[in-house]
Amino acid sequence: MELLNKYYQKVKSILGLSFSLAKAKFKLRNEGSYLGIFWYLLNPLMLFFILSSINHITNKNPIENYHLYLLMGLIMFNFFRQATTVSAGAIKGGAGLIKSLKINYEPFVLSGVLQAIFSHFFEILIFIFFYIYFGLPLLWILYYPLIFCLFVVFTTGICFILATIGTFVNDIENAWGIILNFLWLATPIFYFSDVNFLLNKVNPIFYFVEIPRSIVIYGRYPDFYKIILPAFVFSVIFLIIGLFIFRRYKNRFAEAL
Amino acid sequence: MIRVVADNISKDFSIGYRKEESALSAVLSFLPKSYPKRILVALKNISFSVDSGKVLGLVGKNGSGKSTLLRIIAGIYQPTQGVAKTVGKTIYLTGLGQGLSPMLTMRENIFLMGSIMGLGQKDIKNKFNEIVDFSGLNDFVDTKVAHFSSGMITRLNFSVMINSLKHHNPDVILLDEVFGSGGDIDFQGKAIQKMEELIKGGATVVMASHDLEIIKKYCDKVILLNKGEVAFMGQPDEAIKLYLKS
Repeated sequence: MELLNKYYQKVKSILGLSFSLAKAKFKLRNEGSYLGIFWYLLNPLMLFFILSSINHITNKNPIENYHLYLLMGLIMFNFFRQATTVSAGAIKGGAGLIKSLKINYEPFVLSGVLQAIFSHFFEILIFIFFYIYFGLPLLWILYYPLIFCLFVVFTTGICFILATIGTFVNDIENAWGIILNFLWLATPIFYFSDVNFLLNKVNPIFYFVEIPRSIVIYGRYPDFYKIILPAFVFSVIFLIIGLFIFRRYKNRFAEAL
Repeated sequence: MIRVVADNISKDFSIGYRKEESALSAVLSFLPKSYPKRILVALKNISFSVDSGKVLGLVGKNGSGKSTLLRIIAGIYQPTQGVAKTVGKTIYLTGLGQGLSPMLTMRENIFLMGSIMGLGQKDIKNKFNEIVDFSGLNDFVDTKVAHFSSGMITRLNFSVMINSLKHHNPDVILLDEVFGSGGDIDFQGKAIQKMEELIKGGATVVMASHDLEIIKKYCDKVILLNKGEVAFMGQPDEAIKLYLKS
């Protein structure tokens, strides 16, 4: 019982610090900027308008509710891109603190994920706006937070892995940018492709784009064994790997900085 | 009861360096390569122990290994060899300049630093006035730290640090050059008084300082470090004499 209480206290302090750091970073990002939070939305919105205007070139067979289909894909991937990009330099960014205080390092990574969740919230508001505009039933969107949680778990795992590598290897930030572009094209964001395609089977992000689409937009449950189970397995496995690697190497962070 | 033990600690850093480069090799250096490394011995076979309630001072020139030793005792660095241990609640304090975000206001910085020091939001709210009063910067609470003078930053730093200690009665205190130097006479007096309370509160203290007056005044025993090795361990007066001679 005492051990459980100690563990609870630790998790509480890690989350508390993560929130404070995320809040400060969020404020810093909007500080002195004229458009403020609009910057978060600009990238997915631009892509959205361009890609929907070339829909007739990119897709031979029309996709039902293409605008929502596209927007959902874009904002899901954008969350992943934002969270992981920040995480590669997360530990380095906290170098001053890490070298001069005995603190937990997890908040430096988690605050990046939280920041991405904040901005995802605004993207979801835009999605809901379109959702209502196209007259879809609002009921299905209630499932969304649940689906998104799974994606957050997966992304957090990746972030821990990247943060660990990024502390020791400078090149990771460049390399990850390239990998992200590859993943963006490999994931059916603006085109259609289903789970029977081999690349989709091994691409974790495919599942996290596919599940919210089929539930929220098309109102149908995806196949449990083919879609939901792999998504679940990917999330849990990557979180475990991420935490394992992070904890294994965190004793050496302070010296590497 | 022994509160701090260092048993045969050694610490090596492997650091990269850049050789004199010709024009050609400077161009080639953009190609993938591994950087040359060399081993820097920061600490070599250091052993000591500090009894409960005693104050140990560390003196030595810049780069002699004082900060590295304190970080190893605090558990921030891992020793290459040997073991360092503290018994009981331990706090490690250092000049925390990097923690402040210049683009945030003083209020926001206090909340941020407070949570970095391990306090909850409620605790910080309770201590907020105390921190502001101590710093004497009541008129600048909502000013961005970027507009602060360096003296004001020192004041803010010290006030946040000293007032947001997680443990009120720590068993072990590790101090790395924290006496509010940089503030004016009034503030330094206040800061030193506060540190005195902390040091004389009965905890075991290990402190590194260049201020020999402070070392002489508080320490029971002093270690003189020279290039990572113990050059002398013993009475403060003698250590300081040796340090001044070297």
